[in-house]
Amino acid sequence: MFTDAANFDVRDYLRKEMMPHFLCPGCGHGIALRALLWALHDLAIDKDKLAVVSGIGCAGRLSAYIDANTFHTTHGRPLAYATGLALARPDLHVVVISGDGDCLAIGGNHLIHACRRNLKITCLMLNNEIYGMTGGQVSPTTSESRLTTTTPLGNNEPNFDACALATAAGAGFVGREVTRHVPKLKELIKAGLEHPGFAFVEVLSDCTEVFGRKNDLGSSPEMIMRQKSEIRPSAYRNTVETPFHSTSLPTGILTQNDRPEYGAAHRRAAAAVVAKGAK
Amino acid sequence: MSETSIDAAPAVAPSAAKPPFNVLIVGVGGQGVIMVSKVLAALAQWRGFEVKQSEVHGMAKRGGSVFSHVRFGKRVWSPTIAKGEADVLVALEWAEGLRWLPFLKPDTGIFICDTKRIVPPFACLNRTPGAPMRYSRETADEVASYVAEGYAIDATTMAEELGNERAANVVLLGALSNALDFPVADWETTVADFVPKKTVAVNLEAFRLGRTWVAEARAPAADVPLVHAPVAASYAPRLEINADWCKSCDICVKLCPERCLKLNAERVAELAAPEKCTGCRLCEWLCPDFAIRVHLDPQAGAEGTAR
Amino acid sequence: MNVHDKSLSKSTAKLLSGNSACAQGAVAAGCKFFAGYPITPSSEIAEKLVTSLPQAGGVFIQMEDEISAMAAVIGASMGGVKAMTATSGPGFSLKQENIGYAAGAEIPCVIVNVMRGGPSTGMPTRPSQADIMQTRFGSHGDYPMIVLAPSSVREIYEETIRAFDLAEICRTPVIVLYDQVIAQSSETVALAPPSGVRAERKWASGPRADYKPYAAGIDGIPAMPRPGDGYRTHTTGLTHGENGFPTQNPEAVERAMSRLYSKLDLHRELIESWEAIRCEDADVVIVAIGISARAAKRAVEICRAKGVHVGLFRPITLWPFPEAALQQACKGARAVLVPELNIGQLRLEVERLLGRHRVEGLHQYSGEPITPAQIAARATTLASEA
Repeated sequence: MFTDAANFDVRDYLRKEMMPHFLCPGCGHGIALRALLWALHDLAIDKDKLAVVSGIGCAGRLSAYIDANTFHTTHGRPLAYATGLALARPDLHVVVISGDGDCLAIGGNHLIHACRRNLKITCLMLNNEIYGMTGGQVSPTTSESRLTTTTPLGNNEPNFDACALATAAGAGFVGREVTRHVPKLKELIKAGLEHPGFAFVEVLSDCTEVFGRKNDLGSSPEMIMRQKSEIRPSAYRNTVETPFHSTSLPTGILTQNDRPEYGAAHRRAAAAVVAKGAK
Repeated sequence: MSETSIDAAPAVAPSAAKPPFNVLIVGVGGQGVIMVSKVLAALAQWRGFEVKQSEVHGMAKRGGSVFSHVRFGKRVWSPTIAKGEADVLVALEWAEGLRWLPFLKPDTGIFICDTKRIVPPFACLNRTPGAPMRYSRETADEVASYVAEGYAIDATTMAEELGNERAANVVLLGALSNALDFPVADWETTVADFVPKKTVAVNLEAFRLGRTWVAEARAPAADVPLVHAPVAASYAPRLEINADWCKSCDICVKLCPERCLKLNAERVAELAAPEKCTGCRLCEWLCPDFAIRVHLDPQAGAEGTAR
Repeated sequence: MNVHDKSLSKSTAKLLSGNSACAQGAVAAGCKFFAGYPITPSSEIAEKLVTSLPQAGGVFIQMEDEISAMAAVIGASMGGVKAMTATSGPGFSLKQENIGYAAGAEIPCVIVNVMRGGPSTGMPTRPSQADIMQTRFGSHGDYPMIVLAPSSVREIYEETIRAFDLAEICRTPVIVLYDQVIAQSSETVALAPPSGVRAERKWASGPRADYKPYAAGIDGIPAMPRPGDGYRTHTTGLTHGENGFPTQNPEAVERAMSRLYSKLDLHRELIESWEAIRCEDADVVIVAIGISARAAKRAVEICRAKGVHVGLFRPITLWPFPEAALQQACKGARAVLVPELNIGQLRLEVERLLGRHRVEGLHQYSGEPITPAQIAARATTLASEA
């Protein structure tokens, strides 16, 4: 792990002319981006064969900083774009970067169907519990009672456990990690990239400037320290009886199975159609 | 050799019967300590001795300390070996071997030890690569001076070169076989019985390698050549900070375990106490702006420098 | 460009529905990807392509909704293959945001919209022509759009092929627009194999350092990077400069928007297509598309038989509207009649182009097509009044 670190220079994977990036000081998304690039480096994925598809919002903007074939699409739809891209070009590594609002609210339908279909796509959902770019509105993952610009008296809606949702929808690989543990996060993303089907990785990221400020969670270093109290070993993962634990979430690989990958199955089915037509 | 070997057919009276032969085998969970002791116990029993074996193992949880006592002779009462009573101490891990040294017979005990170092996480007190750890710092030469007869074998590397790192324990078994005058054929038959069928060939090779190595080491008799454990190289950590990318978020400053960074007058991260920097990379990893790059410059004993 | 009737060869003639012809046209055009979502009255296109596309080496997928179907089509096209989706009114509305993305990011693709009664769920099984304006202005912001409006089964086949060609040449989404009647009625047609070579996208070539994904030459169309070819560019729906990255620099934005909006003007010759029947001496020119144009054609015959000088101008390329051709066709006319299955959409455009003419609409939104008799009667009245 540590010799890897010496060989990995994140700048080899960045569009340096785009830097510094536009994220606020202390934004966890930058740390998550490093983990992704590190995982890609470890797996020696060819940048020319890498397609990064992102949606709208702070997380959606990350694709612009990656030196690869990058597609910044419409709000909530990166998984749908990626589905077309991955089916048309099975030779590409398709990675989706999405936020909690992008992936679970406006794009929730695409997420569950991507999980169900199990097409080889690695989906990174950066969860900072807020719509940061639009100024701090409540999102589907905002913890109960948290203050946002659209919940001035505290959020009174229950929130999603994205990993439980992805698992229930049938994703072949589901995992969660915090930005604080960069090498662990890198290893998790790596495992997701190596998974032959759809991989959903939730990254618990910090929004210091909007969410943190609104909820008096302190500075960026303090928010990173806070992540400690929000995770627990995966041995105590959520159960069917208590699926939602907003303030203490299991991390690590939560689901991994060998359901057939959709693209390959789809190509086999198409070949059968062709064979039938030839008779 | 003669004073540490046993008489396979004791001819003396029971009252003056030789005490049992004691072999202590130690190591770390997962290395194959129990397998070594089982081979020895089975062979001794087959040769007509009474055998007692006692072990403490945490095999399910790899990485813990494991030891096994094997005693055999005409008559054996206690299943465990008392301090200072072991004829041979076989250690599959360096520090574990040192831990059990007091159990060797001071005057005649033979110490056979793999130089393999398995450093437990809590022994890493300092993050500087190559920094001293709370782990055995004795050199093989020093250890040799504590024991009557000692062999530090790089068994793991030898097994690796044979193509199976897991056969390191059988290399040590081969080394042990020199201390007992059981026929080689019996040793090899017993080893073959205990290892997985697919690995019989490689394990027999490992056994022979260990046996030959000690035999050769013994030949000059006077000056025993010892294999030394490799010493980790020393590095000087150096931080490359990109002021144009730094956004003064303070993460590196506050989360540095050594507290050696600060924000300067321009509120840009700066290595304020380079001598404290261990090059742990936490600042590089947690910088959301990719503004820090940690370089570890290979350097013998140099102090950390920053720029 | 004028279109002339082609005689049917009995040996190759087949009874075919408009939707089937559309599917066949897509395969003939080299379509390699279809994503759709079930909706009446366009579902048959998907049902045909699920078999014929894999046979042609393509991919068919039914997506979870209309939005994702459009998104997947754009995704596939970004990957470098010719891609298409088909839908109808409500689904077309749902696709609008991503159609705007394809127009702005200049991703070629073909969208078939089979019009049905609206608004909202409307009359799924009844014909309508009420999406004329939505095809042009459906997504937010200013963007160029090509819309082709075939009016027969054979023409659906030909225009679908042409839609792919234009999409690839002009790097833009192209909409094929027709109504429920021709979609689901079958005609005896002989589908001519497409003449010439099908258009292929202009791919980026040359050194990466010099390449700018949105820098265009005199044809106004930038060469597109194919993922895997080593260009590693950025594609975004944000307003972007020539390098593909978002910009808010006023000059850069203006330059980019001007090129985007006017790029079709440089290819109008290629894009525009229409049919003008007996307009030269017409007192009344009927302007119509789709099923209404077919009724109008018969109405011209009825009127002419009675000695009333009536002509027909039928835009096959609906957008950009063949403006000069319409003005030319109506030069001698004293009145213009626009029969259409809506409350007045095509009439707006005709009025805009023929400011001095008397332009009348014949609007029907009952779910029934307009009959030749209705049009002939109205044209005859107009001819006598004018």
